[in-house]
Amino acid sequence: MLRRTTLKLMATLTAASMLPLGLPLGALAEMPATIDKPVTITFYNYNLASASAGADATKELIAGFEKKFPNVKVETVAVPSNEIINRVQADIVAGKQPDVAQLTFRDLIFIASDLGGNALEDMVRPAELKDHLAGMIPKGLELGKVEGKTYGLAYTFSTPVLYYNGDLFKQAGLDPNNPPKTWADVNIAGKAIKEKTGKNGFFPGAYGPTDGTFVYQAIVMSNGGKVRDDNKLTYADKNAAEAVKMLRDMVDSGAHAKIDPASGSDTFAAGNLGMFVYTTAVLGSYKKAAQGKFDLRIAPMPSFGEKPTAPTNSGSALFVFSKDPAKQRAAYELLKYLTSKEAYTVITSKIGYLPLRLDIVDDPNYLGPWVKENPMFRANLEQLNRLTANVAFPGPNYRQVEKMMMDSVREAVFGKGDPIATLKAAQDQGQDLMP
Amino acid sequence: MTDIQADLARPLTLARVPAAARQRGTFTVQPWLYLAPALCLLMMWTYVPLVEAFQLSFYQWNMLPTAPQRYVGLTNYQRLFALPEMRAALWNTLFYILGLFPMSVIIPLFVAIWTQDLEGRARTIYRALIFVPMIVAPVVAAILWRWLLNEDQGLITLGLETVGLGRIGFLTDPKYALATLTWITGWKLIGFSTLLFSAANAGINPSYIEAARIDGASRWGIIRDIRLPLLSPTILLLSMMTILFGAQWSFAYINVLTNGGPLKSTTNIFYLLWEYGFQTMSAGWSSAAGMIAFAGFAVIAAGCMWLTKRFAVYDN
Repeated sequence: MLRRTTLKLMATLTAASMLPLGLPLGALAEMPATIDKPVTITFYNYNLASASAGADATKELIAGFEKKFPNVKVETVAVPSNEIINRVQADIVAGKQPDVAQLTFRDLIFIASDLGGNALEDMVRPAELKDHLAGMIPKGLELGKVEGKTYGLAYTFSTPVLYYNGDLFKQAGLDPNNPPKTWADVNIAGKAIKEKTGKNGFFPGAYGPTDGTFVYQAIVMSNGGKVRDDNKLTYADKNAAEAVKMLRDMVDSGAHAKIDPASGSDTFAAGNLGMFVYTTAVLGSYKKAAQGKFDLRIAPMPSFGEKPTAPTNSGSALFVFSKDPAKQRAAYELLKYLTSKEAYTVITSKIGYLPLRLDIVDDPNYLGPWVKENPMFRANLEQLNRLTANVAFPGPNYRQVEKMMMDSVREAVFGKGDPIATLKAAQDQGQDLMP
Repeated sequence: MTDIQADLARPLTLARVPAAARQRGTFTVQPWLYLAPALCLLMMWTYVPLVEAFQLSFYQWNMLPTAPQRYVGLTNYQRLFALPEMRAALWNTLFYILGLFPMSVIIPLFVAIWTQDLEGRARTIYRALIFVPMIVAPVVAAILWRWLLNEDQGLITLGLETVGLGRIGFLTDPKYALATLTWITGWKLIGFSTLLFSAANAGINPSYIEAARIDGASRWGIIRDIRLPLLSPTILLLSMMTILFGAQWSFAYINVLTNGGPLKSTTNIFYLLWEYGFQTMSAGWSSAAGMIAFAGFAVIAAGCMWLTKRFAVYDN
């Protein structure tokens, strides 16, 4: 008996050690078609770690999934979005591999190349995968791909929009029904709010510790810039740097608030900020905060003159790390459930993320009634056509490179020196760390 | 029962053997056995990690066991010294230490001596009040200060505005942020230092003070010639602790309140090495920053030890 257990253990260990090394990923043991035995999977999720609508809606989704698959138990691990990749990495190092994790796109390349995320094409039969992906926005699906394979299945998802406070607009003598369309308009409106109401004019959710880079990248790409071109950093190049200089000019003119970068969201929710560019993921929370206090409005993100904007995705994809076939099946069923029409109805109406299945928007069985009640959400839907991928950095030092970039952006916007020279200096140092 | 007694008795019989061995000047095992647990822990938690950090500081690695560690020689150090944020962090570390000094040594010293002269309940109440900040969890304290100093609704900011000082961005203006964080760290320390000084002060033999009084010494004279010299070991100890750990104590506040910002104005060497290691996953940079801090503080610690030996007055 003992010997048999030992042998089994040895075999498993050998198999496990051979898998990542000897065999190509495509040769993962095939997962079963159904879940026959009880199985427990872990799900690392950052919406659950928020104190807002995100947690409740996610709990509701998981309860729905467990009801549909009584054999599967989902153990959730809630970690804030800016820490979740570190937690996943730490747990993998400690031998506690997560089965499913909700991670952001900025870590996509690292997850595929270093962390051992499973590509869906290697895990799921092509016909079955095709079946599920049908109806999802192709541009959204593209975002989770590395070298043609889907490592991340697009999940909760959003683009930056311009939130604005209608009451402050009125007090400043501006027309809330005619929101700023270009950055020049934002500058004028921001200055008017600052001067006439004493409140802060404009702020983007681009510099805080939990903001990632998507708002900043959206602004840069709307001006035709890009943060990197293959392995060359380009965020100090003309168009990209000019976008940052535009922000700096607004700081100098007084239109752009000088507040704690981490507090932009709270300041807006408290009614002390006129305009805020941020993800629609917080729409649910703002609606609650604004109820009875101020007139909350949404407009598409501003553009540089006539140039079309490049709304960049915030949000996350679902990644599967399980190596055990039974758990893979359970994990895939969870992925399917969380990206189904039913799930997106909950995700969009309760949290504020975009539905990645557009056919449900006007469907009376799904989002139809909600969108009718919340016509302002269309600003976000319109931007989907121009959705531009948030650029992730490659190589082992990708986080360091990204941090240097964001530090230099903060320095360029709020500092005293020449913004373009600041960006250039950081870019030169960062280039050293690129693969 | 007898077995247990035998067990208990055994060390006693063993104890005689080393005593004899010592006389002959040979190696004895027993003291090392007593020291072994402490030495093992010291090795495991201090010296082995130190050596590993030293090694890692020459490598480039993102802390994944599956990722290769790439030898880069002194590049990590060169990069760090070329980075403006490293220089800023070192200056800020110095600022924290110097800024903490009044609050961790000078004010507590006076408070301790002054409250010593208070009578009965008043003394207890004053000391309790001073000690309270110490027992508040750092993160809770940080959040309370964030509310108090908030630019739009903070009580302190609004108070200053009514006085006519205008709104000050305590945590958002690079001019004030470092001083604000130093103040918060120091505010938290006053209680702890006062407690140590009070204990040392209470330990001074009252007969010295009696004798001085009989000789007609003034109150200030007693403080200057008796209390301060006899408190000197504690003063030097707290000064040394402030120098060596002061910048570390600010970590929680930097992390919660500013993340090293605005514009790197509040970051220090400890926050920086944590950021490199656990935010951007560059084990090499983090270890190199750690080594720089370790070397710097080792020199300072040696200096402090020398000063303590030289200037402390002990009541033998």
